[in-house]
Amino acid sequence: MNQLLYDFALWLDAQSWSTQLHESFYMYNWVESTHVLALMISLGMLFIIDLRMLGLTLTEVPFATLARRLNLPMLLGFGVMIATGLLLFYAIPVRTTQSLWFRFKLVLLLAAALNAWLFHRRMLAAGCQGGNGWDRAAMAPATLRRGAALSIVFWVLIVLCGRLIAYDWFDCNREPGELVATLAGCIHGQTHY
Amino acid sequence: MPLTRLILALALPVIAIYSWRAWGHHAFSAEFDKDAPVTLQGEVTRIEWINPHAWIHLDVVDEQGETVAWMVEGGTPNTLLRAGINKNSIPIGSQIKVRGYQAKDKRCQPACKANGRDVTFANGKKVFMGSSGTGAPKDGADPNER
Repeated sequence: MNQLLYDFALWLDAQSWSTQLHESFYMYNWVESTHVLALMISLGMLFIIDLRMLGLTLTEVPFATLARRLNLPMLLGFGVMIATGLLLFYAIPVRTTQSLWFRFKLVLLLAAALNAWLFHRRMLAAGCQGGNGWDRAAMAPATLRRGAALSIVFWVLIVLCGRLIAYDWFDCNREPGELVATLAGCIHGQTHY
Repeated sequence: MPLTRLILALALPVIAIYSWRAWGHHAFSAEFDKDAPVTLQGEVTRIEWINPHAWIHLDVVDEQGETVAWMVEGGTPNTLLRAGINKNSIPIGSQIKVRGYQAKDKRCQPACKANGRDVTFANGKKVFMGSSGTGAPKDGADPNER
């Protein structure tokens, strides 16, 4: 598996566009800045929705109204964030593939996606649409509150891991310990980093 | 209390932005040792002209006469370009002198690592090669330092 990922990363790394982005004077900086700005838009919207569910902000605004207003900017932000994230990976594929933080981040992203899917299902099941039941309540039902809290925790950790990718403490070329090397997927005798 | 909420709502982003800035400004101290200044003179073996940091690799002959491989971190390619350094200014094999600070991690794996402050070329020209506002010591190397 790790060999496969490493080979895939090498294949990406050999492409001239990857190298050009990695060595660019402006583009990489633009992409990285856009990634962070898009993150603030999408997570900003998401956190407001989550905090509303928890009854910590805008308690007088009905859930349906809030969701209708914030969903579009949140999803647009997500789209830009994912597109720029893929480009950042494409610019530095080998090192990122073998980054401990990046791997944690991907697992957390999967967890956040699963949580969001469950949250959405529970929300529909709880009948948020049409202003009935808890639409105007101060906080959402307990199952949804748990989902909202998890969402905040996951995304804070995801951003943290993303920031830590920048540091090379556990990089494969620094010959980390057995455990880290296994988790990061270092290949024995690899020549590219 | 609406007022408490308002204060919290205003204070949280400020705290968030401040701590983000503080973090960014401590990028230097996260990896490099301000108490370990180094002056490295040697032959350029390789240059990685990459984002987010360029790396100059050089072979330095130490006091025992042994050759030690060093890699020195610079700013982004863009920062270096604006400082007056491009790919062609530092030919492979040329002699340079770099002032900087060694990494906290002194295992020298795969090479000894340092953060570069300024670089002096064979013709005597000296250029700032770092980034401003990283929290590196104020040593006069950065012309934009306040």
